[in-house]
Amino acid sequence: MRAVDLTYTAEEEQFRQELRTWLAENIPTEWTVPGYWATLSDEESFEKRREWEARKTAAGFSGIQWPVEYGGRGGTPAMKAIYDEETVRAHAPQTVNVLGLTFLAPTIMAIGTDEQKAEIIGPMLRNEVIWCQGFSEPGAGSDLAAVATRGVLDGDEYVVNGQKIWTTNAMHGDKIFTIVRTEAGSEKHKGLSMLLIDMNQPGVEARPLKQMSGASEFGEVFFTDARVPAKDCLGEIGQGWRTAMLLLSFERGASGVGQYTEFRRQYDEIVAEAKRFGRADDPVARQELARCLVELECLRYHAMHILTQVEQGKDLGSESSMTKLQWSEAFQDLWEAFEHVLGPEATLSAPRPDVDLSPFHAQDHWSRSVTIWGGSSQVQRNIVAERVLGLPR
Amino acid sequence: MFFALTDEQQAFASTVTEFLADRFDLEAVRGVVEDPEGDGHPVTLWKGLADQGTLAVLVPEEHDGLGLGLVDAQVVARALGAGVAPGPWLATVLAAEAVRIAGSAEQQSRWLPALAAGETVGTVALRGEGGAWDGSGITVDANDGRLNGSASPVDYPAVAGLIVVAATDASGTPGLYLVEAGASGLTVRDQHTYDGTARVGAVEFADTPAEALPNGDAAAVRALLARGAVLNAADLVGVAREALTRTVAYDRDRNQFGVPVGSFQALKHALADLHVAVTMAEHAVLFAAHAVDTDDDGAAIAVAVAGSKASDAAWNATGAMIQFFGGIGFTWEHEAHFFYKRARRRAPLFGSAAEHREALAALTM
Repeated sequence: MRAVDLTYTAEEEQFRQELRTWLAENIPTEWTVPGYWATLSDEESFEKRREWEARKTAAGFSGIQWPVEYGGRGGTPAMKAIYDEETVRAHAPQTVNVLGLTFLAPTIMAIGTDEQKAEIIGPMLRNEVIWCQGFSEPGAGSDLAAVATRGVLDGDEYVVNGQKIWTTNAMHGDKIFTIVRTEAGSEKHKGLSMLLIDMNQPGVEARPLKQMSGASEFGEVFFTDARVPAKDCLGEIGQGWRTAMLLLSFERGASGVGQYTEFRRQYDEIVAEAKRFGRADDPVARQELARCLVELECLRYHAMHILTQVEQGKDLGSESSMTKLQWSEAFQDLWEAFEHVLGPEATLSAPRPDVDLSPFHAQDHWSRSVTIWGGSSQVQRNIVAERVLGLPR
Repeated sequence: MFFALTDEQQAFASTVTEFLADRFDLEAVRGVVEDPEGDGHPVTLWKGLADQGTLAVLVPEEHDGLGLGLVDAQVVARALGAGVAPGPWLATVLAAEAVRIAGSAEQQSRWLPALAAGETVGTVALRGEGGAWDGSGITVDANDGRLNGSASPVDYPAVAGLIVVAATDASGTPGLYLVEAGASGLTVRDQHTYDGTARVGAVEFADTPAEALPNGDAAAVRALLARGAVLNAADLVGVAREALTRTVAYDRDRNQFGVPVGSFQALKHALADLHVAVTMAEHAVLFAAHAVDTDDDGAAIAVAVAGSKASDAAWNATGAMIQFFGGIGFTWEHEAHFFYKRARRRAPLFGSAAEHREALAALTM
């Protein structure tokens, strides 16, 4: 067994060089300007990213860890970490098919039918089909088992009625993987199924949700007698909860390395503003910013720990709850520090004629969402307390 | 990529942990705590630690050491912290590190085998009253092979056969000097720390003869302080983890209102946050140890992150231990105060959490 070794293999470093070269040639300079994407409409931003990502896939830089048979690169977990780090470093845009790529694809590889494997994964990877996730409902947020959207069998199709909310990319989605109550009268975790529903049909309506930041990353999806073939169920009918838990377990792929790279850049940007506004010598400000840096560095070490566990083939179990708590709380604290340190200037988009802080505000306000979605911090603390520490329910 | 302990390192940790459980458990610790006039340096414990090679970890093989790194040494420090073990382990290891880093071949041959075997107890005096832990807080002057001034707090000065002293010469340049027990003009005064798992004193020098370590420059002082910060942080992380583990075990069983108190979210969420914090501190200490071992460019940042995170984690976990044991945790009979007091004594050593954060600000702002 080797001692602590934070280097990557020659093959992995070779991959880094190839990726770095491709990114350098394929990221326009204007994309690297902070706040660039916020200057575009949602539609423009989405289409630009969709097109760019499809080119990236054609160049062989998507599905890094996926098997080659699915159009992936067949790379190592470390290559995925390198990919995450390099794409952030190069200011590559956020993926448009994030929920499909992160959650749905690995679940299909694990338990999908041959037909699902053949029909879903390739088009997803090429961004020909954009996938949404339909889990949360107005009455089922943290309590996911309370879903009320129902599906009734009619011949060889389910007829679906109900509403989903907080749906990322709702306005751009082509299909949605959805938890539906397919057994009338069932309760809680029973009688649920994971249906793969076509959003381009009269019975499905998506509406944008305007967030506190002014942006609309999320939307609502309404099902009114929407129809879905019974064969388009992932996992068995009635086993939707099990499928959902398997699907959510793939969040462990969430990359601490990429997040660290991104947040550390934000830290440096905030420090630069603190200097500009004469706040960088204040001992209280320095303490608060350094406190943020400590947590960001810990996130980086934690990512190395997770990568090691994955490479050793160990089951991470409930450890992903710790990862979520660490990155989301650290990110939110960083943006609180921005407000504390800059004081009144932090609240102004144009504190000086030549200074635009609106990209900072977008991050600042976005940071309030990350401790809610994907399992709120309170739910994560329950999971850590009960499943890691073994405290009684 | 391999960021974890090897099987050998884990086995080494288990050896120390099991030795403490078998031969120096909390009852034995209590014996030291309740004998404040004693030297706080039980022979059986010291001999056992020496026999297991814990004092030899960082000493090169040519001087009868194991020739390992801080990554291995922090394994021992964590185990000692978890066991709230008394004794001059850290002090002796750091004295040997000073000789290894800055000593002449002759000095190394003379001192390293004895320190590695535990035959000589060492300690370090790197800072004076009210001073910082960055080399600027030295209040000892060196002149013509004689030292004048004082240093405190110093771990276990009364039992140390060798004291490594940081002193500044007439030009204000810091250096490292060796003072042997019994040297003329050397006075040791017990300062009576409330942490009964340690003995701490002030060391005063009045024209005390001292031998300079030839490579003991400002960089060597900083290197020694960095190693001290990492191993002190490792001890704190051990304290924090054990305090948390004991608290969780108690709160699983302790019933109030007809249910285990650990079923209440008020406790659950606090304990979950502590678990995350302690885990991050463990990662930070391991990373910092490796960064120092490999002389990484980011070592200064890593040491400061580990120092501040471990301090805060131990401070918070041991405070929570008393709170979440309830009234029993506040009593003398309960062991919570061993952990609490050890955490608070160690937290400011080699730089407080706030000092480490200021160092981070200076490095990144």
